[in-house]
Amino acid sequence: MISDIAKNLVELKQEFVRVYDGNSQIQELIPKSTSDLFPIEASHLDLLHEFATKNPIYYNSFEKKIGSIDCIVYEGDINKYWLNSIQHGSSKAPFSPTWIMSGYIGAMFAKELGYSEVIDIGSGDGRIAYCAKILDLESYSIEIDDMLVDLQNLLTSTLNFHPYCADAIAFDYSSLNLLRPIFFIGGLAQMGGTFLATGVLDKINSISDLKQNSGWVFAGTLSQKYVPDPKNEAGWGTLIEKNNLKSIHNVSLPAAWTFHESDDVQYIFAESN
Amino acid sequence: MFDSESQKLQNLIDTVNSKTDMTIHEIVETYYQVMNVSSMCAMLKEQADSEPNPLLSKIQETEKMISEKFDSIIHPKILTKISLTIQEMTKNLQSGHSGEKSKEQIESNAKLFEELRQTMSTKEFVEQYETGISHDQ
Repeated sequence: MISDIAKNLVELKQEFVRVYDGNSQIQELIPKSTSDLFPIEASHLDLLHEFATKNPIYYNSFEKKIGSIDCIVYEGDINKYWLNSIQHGSSKAPFSPTWIMSGYIGAMFAKELGYSEVIDIGSGDGRIAYCAKILDLESYSIEIDDMLVDLQNLLTSTLNFHPYCADAIAFDYSSLNLLRPIFFIGGLAQMGGTFLATGVLDKINSISDLKQNSGWVFAGTLSQKYVPDPKNEAGWGTLIEKNNLKSIHNVSLPAAWTFHESDDVQYIFAESN
Repeated sequence: MFDSESQKLQNLIDTVNSKTDMTIHEIVETYYQVMNVSSMCAMLKEQADSEPNPLLSKIQETEKMISEKFDSIIHPKILTKISLTIQEMTKNLQSGHSGEKSKEQIESNAKLFEELRQTMSTKEFVEQYETGISHDQ
């Protein structure tokens, strides 16, 4: 069922791209209500909309029927966060969010795979951690950029997804007492993601028993704009092999930066061999 | 062909020398022509006799022009200018952060951010040329 929702979202995005005539830097949609194509609990949809309406990156929203689905379109601008991240040189990859719906679907897969905690690494505005919390998973959000963490703190009054302003490769994960965690790594392999993932993997591998119980989600791309990894997996094959992981699932989902691209983000789910 | 490409480069260098501001297109065009003619020089030098001849003289003359006029004067000038432009654009965009903005203002500002991103990419391109020069030395 989750795979069907993911596929339906990709198709809805394609239709959205065709009909969208606005000028915003980023734009995304969330269905207004539950439907056959998006059988999502009404209370969950309300919380997804709340994340967007409270989030200062969005400055406009409107209702629009896209295909057969009544949606709310959210228009946003993340330029000032990009400027802040390049000014401080702290971030390995500039903030470029996935869609809120994509974060929710990614968290649904994490739950279905049996994980109990989601750790959103390089979390931007914390949307994946927030979505995991909607699904009753414990969640933590690690972000190095203070301006983005300030933004996250505006959103925790609805659901506390535990934002931390920290360097993810120096963070003390043992302090979280994790049992069955899954780590969502922000950033494409080719855009600083490999460096970030390697650092976090090293930290987790140093905590006894945690390596075998941990899952990983890597955001990849098949776009020909990037040099492919010789071991594939949307740019992550070499890292997966080197760390003795195996890919267990992958799903294509839209993100802000794929709006004008034919290929969406490939989320690779992996676990220990 | 070498003559015409060298002449084209000479014209570009003269134009750049007389200008205080260059568009991104002009910068990229000039660097591509420098790289194009440099490659031609390297290739033709391998084919030319080591004995003095008109082609060898022309190659040496062109290499001298690239080294003395472009690498030593124009390239540093362009890099300094781009760096200052980026600083200025960044400062202006940061100062415009505060206060509520209309949809139109946000979308108009987004174009300035896009210009900044393009200028930063151009700087990276120009810096790559500098890396190439230092490797050749």
